Parts: sequence; structure tokens; C-alpha cells
Amino acid sequence: MKTDLNVLVIIPAYNEENSIARVVRAVHEAHPEVDMLVVNDGSTDETSLRARATGLAHVIDLPFNVGIGGAVQTGYIFASRHGYDIAIQLDADGQHEPGDLNKIVSVISNGEADCCIGSRFLEKTGYTSTPIRQWGIRFFSWLIRALTGRTMTDPTSGFRAVNRKAMEYFAENYPDDYPEVEALVMLERKGFTIKETPVHMHCREEGHSSITAGKALYYMTKVSLAVLLTRFRNVG
Amino acid sequence: MSMHIHVLSTICSAALTISVVELIRRQRIAEKYSLLWLVMGAVMIVCSAYPRVLEDAARLLEIYEATSVLIIIGFVMAMVMILHLTIVISRLQRQQTRLIQELALLKASLEKEEDPDDRYAHRIG
Repeated sequence: MKTDLNVLVIIPAYNEENSIARVVRAVHEAHPEVDMLVVNDGSTDETSLRARATGLAHVIDLPFNVGIGGAVQTGYIFASRHGYDIAIQLDADGQHEPGDLNKIVSVISNGEADCCIGSRFLEKTGYTSTPIRQWGIRFFSWLIRALTGRTMTDPTSGFRAVNRKAMEYFAENYPDDYPEVEALVMLERKGFTIKETPVHMHCREEGHSSITAGKALYYMTKVSLAVLLTRFRNVG
Repeated sequence: MSMHIHVLSTICSAALTISVVELIRRQRIAEKYSLLWLVMGAVMIVCSAYPRVLEDAARLLEIYEATSVLIIIGFVMAMVMILHLTIVISRLQRQQTRLIQELALLKASLEKEEDPDDRYAHRIG
């Protein structure tokens, strides 16, 4: 990876004590040159301790659980205040492959886009998920295409990188919960350019998806509403 | 409406309004959040003290029972109040999130000051 740019990997973590250390080490092994920031979102387990024990990442502890959006935004605030050129978001559950970091970052460092999403569906990568989840992702893709005319194969992906401009925007404006799709529509609305690049995705090793069956309906409704309103709202 | 209920409701409405004023005086509620309550109290006093207002409104809206008008007014005001509170809570939640973030960032930068050997020390002012 080009080392003349300061790159920060933001890892939001809520009760991920079983995977956080492995994820931090994996990122370090693949890219020792990047800085890492674990944002511990008020975990009740040893997430913070285990992340600190690696000695490879900066750890910020939020005193309360503010939700994934608030946690990720903390990372963007940190990145923009400390002069990073590129910020990458990566999930703490080990589903994202640190080896793909380069692909996502190079889209940004080459100036091809302001934001690059690691997509599981751009190429056949062998990633499969439940039919309901796939249907949900397809629905959001359709919604984004209907509202913005842009095609995004994997708008719910939490593996993404932004340049300084988009990072500063996110530091000021970021959705609170289930933020992935809404954040993209916000960027799009503000005229930022977004690209996708194919990535591999592992099946979940530890912990559970934050989206349980009961929350699925809330998730779909909340995100759809947010996406619709963002389309017509005066964004920040 | 009978005379008794008329007097009683006037007293109740006045008591509510006085309570709100007293709460503002003791700074238990901020003035800006009390405006709705004061308006509500004033409307209730007027409706109780001059039932003619309700009766006229009922005739105008072709509502048979004047008390129904009172219930509708009460319901609408309660909804406005709840909506107002939701707006306030949303703002408070946004501010709280930002405070939590700033606190955590500040704590992290203090930690790094205490441990200057840290790899990331150079990044923190």
C-alpha cells in the first residue's frame, strides 16, 4: 500500500471480546503501516481490554452504548482531527478480509471516488447469506437506484473507505443506528462520488449479527424511511 | 353544563395554570418548554369560565354535545404536547451522543499524554 498517505482503520466494537484481538492482529499482519482505532461502544465484556492488550490499536471507550452509528462517527471525528487522509471502516466480528483493504483504499488514493464500498456481490465471491438478508440487500439496492439512479450492489456493507472530504462530512453528520445505507444516500445527496469494489466476506466467526428477526422489521422500516427522507431533506 | 361542574373545572384549570407558573418560578421547568402548558391552561380557563365558548364552537362544528368539543381540544393539546416532547428528546439524544463522543475522545487523548511512548502519541496534540 502507498505509505505516503495516513490511513486509519476504524473498528467499531460492541461486545466482541472473542474476535476483536484476532481482527486487530489480522489487520496489522496484512498492513502494519496503517493505524487502527477500536471504538468500544460501551461493551459490557472485555472488548476494550483485549483490544488494548494487542498493543496494536488505539482504543476509545464510549462510556455508554450509543449504537453503531455514533461509534463509527467517533472514529471519523478522530480521523479528521488527527489529520488522516483516508479512513476505513471494518467490522469487529472478523467477517471482512484485511487483505482486501488495499483494493478499497487504492480507489480512494487514486482519486477515483470519495467513498469506496467493499461489495460482496460485485463478483461471485462465494459469500452466501440467508435468503431474507439477500432480499433485504436487494431491496435497498433497488431503493437507492430508484431514488438516486445509482447502482449499489451491497449498500449494507460495513467495509468502506472515505477520503478526507467525506470523512469531515461524516464527522459532522452521521445516522445513529443502522447507518450504512443512509450514510451512502447522504453522501450521494451531497454530491460525493461513491464506487464499489469486490471483496471477500467470511461467515461470522463469533457473536451474533446485531440484526435479529425481531429487529428486522424495524431495520427495514427505519432505513427505508431514512433513505426516503434523506432524498428530500436538506442535508447538512 | 351544570353550575357546579362549571365552577369546579374553572378552579381546576386555574390551579393547573398556577402550578405551571410556580414550577417556572422555581426553575423546575424552563420557560421555553412551559409555553405550551400555559397556553393549555389559558384555553381551559376560558372554556370553563365561559361555557358559551364551547357551546358556540359545538354549534359551529355541528357537534351535538358541547363536552365533546372539550375532549377534542384536550386530545389535540395532549398530542401537540407529546410531539413537542419527542422533538425535545430527539435533540437531547443528539447532544448526548456528541457529548459521549467528545468525552471518550478527550479521555483517550489524556491517556496518550500519560504514555508518550505510545505508537500513536505523535498524532495527539
